Amino acid sequence: MTPTELAENPAVRRWFTSANLHELDEEGKTHRLALLADFCAQTGRQPEELVSGLLRTTKDGDTAISAKRRTLMNATIDEFVEKSGFTGKDAVVNGNIIRSFLVHNGIFIQGRAWRAGLNQS
Amino acid sequence: MDIKQVMGNRRSIRYFEPDKPVEREKIQYMLEAMNRSSRAVNADFVKTIVVFRDELDPEVLEQLKTPTTTAEIDMAPVHMFCYLDLTYTEGAQGRLKELVQLGALNASHGWSEAYVDEVVWATVLKPIASDPGILAYIGAIDAGVAINQGMLAAVDAGLGVCLHAFNTEVAKTALGVPDHWLPLHLLLVGYPAEDPLTGGQRPRRPLSTQCFVGNASTPWEEIPEVTEQLKKDGLIQEGIDAEKRRAEVRQLAQRFGLPE
Repeated sequence: MTPTELAENPAVRRWFTSANLHELDEEGKTHRLALLADFCAQTGRQPEELVSGLLRTTKDGDTAISAKRRTLMNATIDEFVEKSGFTGKDAVVNGNIIRSFLVHNGIFIQGRAWRAGLNQS
Repeated sequence: MDIKQVMGNRRSIRYFEPDKPVEREKIQYMLEAMNRSSRAVNADFVKTIVVFRDELDPEVLEQLKTPTTTAEIDMAPVHMFCYLDLTYTEGAQGRLKELVQLGALNASHGWSEAYVDEVVWATVLKPIASDPGILAYIGAIDAGVAINQGMLAAVDAGLGVCLHAFNTEVAKTALGVPDHWLPLHLLLVGYPAEDPLTGGQRPRRPLSTQCFVGNASTPWEEIPEVTEQLKKDGLIQEGIDAEKRRAEVRQLAQRFGLPE
């Protein structure tokens, strides 16, 4: 899926609307779409599958987040960032761009925060 | 700071200055404020483990992070793990007797050494101690009172605080927590990286929706002059300007590389 095709995906549209990403300049928007496209390619999943894969249905029929799969997703994102060659603050920022997509689609998930005073890899 | 201002200024702070250390003196102020809180049977309900994040074994710190706590743990320089000590009824008779002897509990209200020695265990303490649900319920109330007092002390000291859930299993092992301590809250402490007033007070419902007079169906009617005075004193403050707040949050997200 190209970044342009990705932009039409309902989950991606939801992300852009909820996070007000339309206010970003073209470079910012393109970067986010390209990053998510790469992540989808690496994981072999469509955007909506990234979200639905983290959800489960309880015995009462309610929607819940799978804690185990969310932990796995956090590790997958960190791995993706590392493989993509991002380091320092870029690694934190780009990992959290993927998390932003998940967050705005209803997944409560946190990644690292960048600490300027700490030499982070 | 005036207590009304302190209570009015308290917010749940979620963005901390990660590299600005918190003075141990200020932490002790918080702990002593908790220690001075109101408490049944004069028990020490809360056990608090203060962890200075950067003094913690990095491996343990990583283990404490979960997909719902990572960013906050990264940002807050001090983590106070709060537990309820489920043995709080032990020694209660001795402490009550001491209060009788000191005149804190008096015959005017029915208290006597004879009551404490001969009756209080069977009629009050034993029923509490023998029911895990009641034991936790009563203890959690008094623990909450203490924790809140510590939070207000933090605000008075210019710090930000936020109560948080935590990975109780990892913390139990890493911090050597005994079995009879029930996990309550992780109190994150640090200097706010965000506006300490977070752009305004959170919305609250009017007193009339939650406070009643005489019975459960007669709402409390606010006295307008009192409300105005509390506004002047800083207890009641302006609400959040959502647009300004969004702009601040975006700046904070960019600074810390967090999701926008």
